[in-house]
Amino acid sequence: MRDHLKYFIFTILCLCLGLAPANGSIRSEYEVKAAFLYNFTRFVRWSQVVDSTAPLIVCVVGDDPFGELLDPLRGRKSQGRELQLRYPDSTFELTGCDVLYISQSQSRNLPELINLARQEGMLTVSDLPDFIRKGGMLGYVKKGNVIRFEINLKAATEAGLTINSRLLELAVRVLR
Amino acid sequence: MMRGWRYWRLKTKLLFLTLFVSTLGIALVCASLIFVENRNYKKQLESELHVIAGILAEQSAAALVFEDNVQLTSIISSLERINTIRQACVYNEQDNFMTSLVGIDEQPCPSLDQRLELGFVDDVYRLLMPVSLGNETVGRLFLSSHLEVLRGHIRTFVWVAIGIGSTILLALVFLALRLQRIVSGPILTLSETAERIAMNHDYSIRAPVSGTDELGRLGNTFNEMIGTIQQQNLRILESRDNLERVVDARTSELSMANRELEAFSYSVSHDLRQPLRAIEGFGQALEEDCGEHLNDVGKDYLRRIRAASVRMASLIDGLLILSRVSRQSMENHSIDLSQMLREITDELKDISDHPPAEIHIQPGMQVVGDSRMLRIVFQNLLGNAWKYSSKEKKRVIEVSATLEGSVIAIEIRDNGVGFDMRYIDKLFVAFNRLHTPSEFGGTGIGLATVYRVIRRHHGTISATSEVGKGASFVVKLPVSGDQR
Repeated sequence: MRDHLKYFIFTILCLCLGLAPANGSIRSEYEVKAAFLYNFTRFVRWSQVVDSTAPLIVCVVGDDPFGELLDPLRGRKSQGRELQLRYPDSTFELTGCDVLYISQSQSRNLPELINLARQEGMLTVSDLPDFIRKGGMLGYVKKGNVIRFEINLKAATEAGLTINSRLLELAVRVLR
Repeated sequence: MMRGWRYWRLKTKLLFLTLFVSTLGIALVCASLIFVENRNYKKQLESELHVIAGILAEQSAAALVFEDNVQLTSIISSLERINTIRQACVYNEQDNFMTSLVGIDEQPCPSLDQRLELGFVDDVYRLLMPVSLGNETVGRLFLSSHLEVLRGHIRTFVWVAIGIGSTILLALVFLALRLQRIVSGPILTLSETAERIAMNHDYSIRAPVSGTDELGRLGNTFNEMIGTIQQQNLRILESRDNLERVVDARTSELSMANRELEAFSYSVSHDLRQPLRAIEGFGQALEEDCGEHLNDVGKDYLRRIRAASVRMASLIDGLLILSRVSRQSMENHSIDLSQMLREITDELKDISDHPPAEIHIQPGMQVVGDSRMLRIVFQNLLGNAWKYSSKEKKRVIEVSATLEGSVIAIEIRDNGVGFDMRYIDKLFVAFNRLHTPSEFGGTGIGLATVYRVIRRHHGTISATSEVGKGASFVVKLPVSGDQR
């Protein structure tokens, strides 16, 4: 009986797991990543920002892979702060950014950007491979068809960012 | 059931009342305890489930927004350890099903499209809690808990309550029985004593008394009452004995005096006869032998002497008869009265049949008594009727009898001169005459003799009359002669 039950639960779980990607596959990869980007901002605390009502500025550095997919984020609120989007052309225009999405085209400027982010207290997000090993904070990874992420907690702490433990629990890998 | 209440024994009534009231009380207490316990337990369950759901919702918020089903499932599966949870389901922001934990029921998670009944529904408790992140709702958590634990809890409670209640009741039965021995025991003893006294009329019995409470006082009072009755009984018996002794003494004195009187009157009458016979005999001899020597005046005197002596003889005879009817012992027999009356009237007709007599005697009259005495009675009564109607043109004498219960009333009616009712008191007294000897002869002893005989037969005699219109004598005798 007990085994039977376990088997049943297992079947249900497999079914659920199987269904989730199926649902997700309807959405494009960047659609999911855009949603994740927004959700990341909800679990991070910027200690350098004093004004809790100041807009939360998300900067996309390099070639924009999202296209219009980020537009719904405009005006949405995260932890009481209104989201704003910026697409700076040079590294000099990065001042004031809270979240830095580093596109794959910026892999060469990566050390510089990471450095800047650490100094300015920005959250760095990228889907560059091995991003967190290179000093990035949040990196997208793909597990089969499912988009997941990994976290470099050390880098975030150095930049004065606090990442909610609930987010850490969900990460595929956490560097401490 | 209560119909026979009045006829129940005191013991049963007491026991019933005690048990009824205590059972009611215990049942009420148990019922209210169960009710309160049920409510409290439900509240507790509700709050526990809310706490659990709250924790789960907080834990699963991040996993929900990142659509991390593995994480969600692992969070939800922590509920497996809580065995009251039957089902737990997680829905995302769009109310789409994400993951679930199924218990024994293996039911699919409900769809949130239709309205869900929440709270206590049948034997489950359902709860739908929003999962929020910041101010935003990012999903929902559905929990369903079965109430078997609650039911089991209440069942245990009920059994315990029944057990304790029965124990208390048993103790109460024991107590009530003991109490009964204290309360109804003395009452029962008292009642039994009263019954025994009433049955045996033995007033020396006393009820055992213990204690000085109301029951003790009741017993004491009862004993005092019985004591009073006993004393009064004793006194009544004593006074009755005294009275009997006094009556006996009086009766013997009286009967002795009576006997002396009767002996006196008998001897007087008897002894008077001899000289009277001498007077009469020598008077007759004088008239026969020396009649020619006497002149008319002497002859008249002599005749008067002889008439007086005859009258005196009849007086003495009457007195003898009177004393005889008083003294003689009675021999009661059934008597054909009609026959006896005919014999008497025939004798009367032989003596004097002038004027012609018309006599009606009711046939078949029967009485019980001493025939010689009753003959004297009716000789007197008919003789009177005969005598006092002798001056009429025709004698009419009627004798009839009527039965009045156990008494026969014999009426003797004549058409004679009658008498004045003013002197009725003197009628039955000896030597009292209502007519002068010149009118009608007689001694004045006859009706006295009649009266005495009738009295000895336990009967009565009465007379009614009107002057010149005849007289009526009614003799009443008991039908069965042996009254005593």
